[in-house]
Amino acid sequence: MKLKAEIAGADHLLELRRDGARIVAKVDDRDYDLQAHPGATGVYLIHLGERVFECRVRSVDASAGLSEVHVGQEEFQVTLTDPRRLSHASVSGTLAAGRAAVIAPMPGRVVRVLVEIGTQVEAGAGLIVVEAMKMQNELKSPKAGVVTAVNTETGAAVNAGDTLVVIE
Amino acid sequence: MNQLAPTGLPALFKKILIANRGEIAVRVIRACRDLSISPVAIYSEADAAALHVRLADEAVCIGPAASVDSYLNINAVIGAARQVNADAIHPGYGFLAENADFVRAASAARIVFIGPTAAAMEVMGSKTSARRAAIAAGVAVVPGTTEALKTFSEARDTAARFGYPIMLKAAAGGGGKGMRLVHSESELESSLAGAQSEAAAAFGNDAVYIEKAVEVPRHIEIQVFADTHGNVVHLGERECSIQRRHQKVIEECPSPINDPDLRARMGAAAVKIAQAVDYVGAGTVEFLLADTTREFYFLEMNTRLQVEHPVTELVTGIDLVREQINVAAGARLSFTQDDVRWNGHAIECRVYAEDPENNFFPSPGRITFLRVPAGPGIRDDGGVSEGADVSIHYDPMISKLAAWGRTRDEAIDRLRRALDEYAVSGIKTTLPFFRQMVRDEEFRAGKLDTGFITRFLERRAGDTADSADPREAQRKRDLAIIAAGLDYAGPQTPASPLAPATESNAWRIAGRSALLRARQPDTARLLKRR
Repeated sequence: MKLKAEIAGADHLLELRRDGARIVAKVDDRDYDLQAHPGATGVYLIHLGERVFECRVRSVDASAGLSEVHVGQEEFQVTLTDPRRLSHASVSGTLAAGRAAVIAPMPGRVVRVLVEIGTQVEAGAGLIVVEAMKMQNELKSPKAGVVTAVNTETGAAVNAGDTLVVIE
Repeated sequence: MNQLAPTGLPALFKKILIANRGEIAVRVIRACRDLSISPVAIYSEADAAALHVRLADEAVCIGPAASVDSYLNINAVIGAARQVNADAIHPGYGFLAENADFVRAASAARIVFIGPTAAAMEVMGSKTSARRAAIAAGVAVVPGTTEALKTFSEARDTAARFGYPIMLKAAAGGGGKGMRLVHSESELESSLAGAQSEAAAAFGNDAVYIEKAVEVPRHIEIQVFADTHGNVVHLGERECSIQRRHQKVIEECPSPINDPDLRARMGAAAVKIAQAVDYVGAGTVEFLLADTTREFYFLEMNTRLQVEHPVTELVTGIDLVREQINVAAGARLSFTQDDVRWNGHAIECRVYAEDPENNFFPSPGRITFLRVPAGPGIRDDGGVSEGADVSIHYDPMISKLAAWGRTRDEAIDRLRRALDEYAVSGIKTTLPFFRQMVRDEEFRAGKLDTGFITRFLERRAGDTADSADPREAQRKRDLAIIAAGLDYAGPQTPASPLAPATESNAWRIAGRSALLRARQPDTARLLKRR
């Protein structure tokens, strides 16, 4: 399996092959031969020679391929792209399809609306800024698409769970 | 320990309703279990599956998620206690714990409130009446004038009376404008003129008053305990100087100052204040301590169990919640002042569901993985379990991690180990922040005052360059990518023949060439997703 991986703003190429617990992997030009023992969902104990690393993977946004990965205590954001799926998807146009609702994570007040209906956005683009507990939090687009609904306005109070923006 | 024997103890409660949630509800449930008392939980609609509900014998829903409609709803809580025939209510901390109306409602329903009287609560609930009570008990408060200074000679006389250093403060003030720290009389005249003109410019009002300056202030509190038989005892101090936005972050017992004479003086002052209001149960008297002169001033009294009570328990060996229940049932304190011994050192950090990399923004969500540390000297008072949702409705503290050691250094070593062992996925926590703090030189040296966090955050921001071994950092990044890839590939399909696993280098080389040969045909198989 070959995947493109983005981590800390840099792109890498991952080649991965596994058999039982054994994993043979290549990240860019670096070869790894390791043992991986899956435990609870998303938890992999990796033996690399004599070193052990507990890795915990949690999907943050499956459609964007974004995962949060802990290696021991260190945390990384990894975005995986499957070139085969991407090429397949771009032919049928299904990957980017579907609605994505941007939901207020907590009660607060809208201080800025950065998009309007019809705005073309990339995945990760800022959509709306919500202030809660005197802190401003920018809500980002989970996917590339077009803004089809903006359900709030500057100054409005929002509750947790309110759908603020819809991207299609 | 002459009063430890249970003979002559009044009949204990059969059933206690815990008017709280989260870790403190769990903590009280544990004390109930120790005493073979049946614990009853209350819960909001958002907490139906919460840990404190799981651990209780009975549980009553008291309303919707918003705390004003549930945990702060006196009628609903008292109604729940009557419904299950509870003998007593333990309020925990926060919510209704310092609400005198709640105390009265409980007694009207003939249910024992585990805590002080409504009257004591009310005196200490107001800053001005609490200050008056402290002065009447002969305990120092931060000296200050309440009237604006009219003349320089008045300022000079007042400053001489308080003793330098003093602080000049604009009456209409705020944000540091019109404020001057004055170290000696020679600086007073120019400082007064400066403060007045600055106050006039900033607030249109040049009124300035004098307060005694507490230099390098430390926030120290004394745990007190009183029974209904007139015994009042102190259990020493807790150092709570490490605060962020006036919220305690790390607490220690004893204070790194560790001065038995100072402890005795502060303890005696705290006992006098408790006696002045006929206090009953567990309470905490907070003081501001000048690090340089060791003078201390009364700030306020908290008429409840404190969040940070475990550090006192670890060092004194006294179970404060068990004692609260016994005292509420009419028993004498199980210890005298002479029985109280301070053994070793304990440090607690409050683990919050907050993102330290994003200005400590709350991070609600589902806890997808949780491993709590254990081992020698470690105590975790948690309120969540794996799979639990950290709700936006309540305080985001998920646990208190405390470490005990014979010395402060040993306690810090254990705390560092436990913080490294602590694993949480699904939400952001303040664990990475604490991992850095316990490695900080100033923290290890015990140089704590209320300005510590500001300095620590500056040091931390200046320390962004990755000081770790760059090869190790790259290896971890690569492993993160590999782990994400494994997760993407999904569960293992049946094994295909590959060389048996041995650990020789030759094997690895063979494995690599096998990979190169086999890569193409295998790709499709590996692409099957979960």
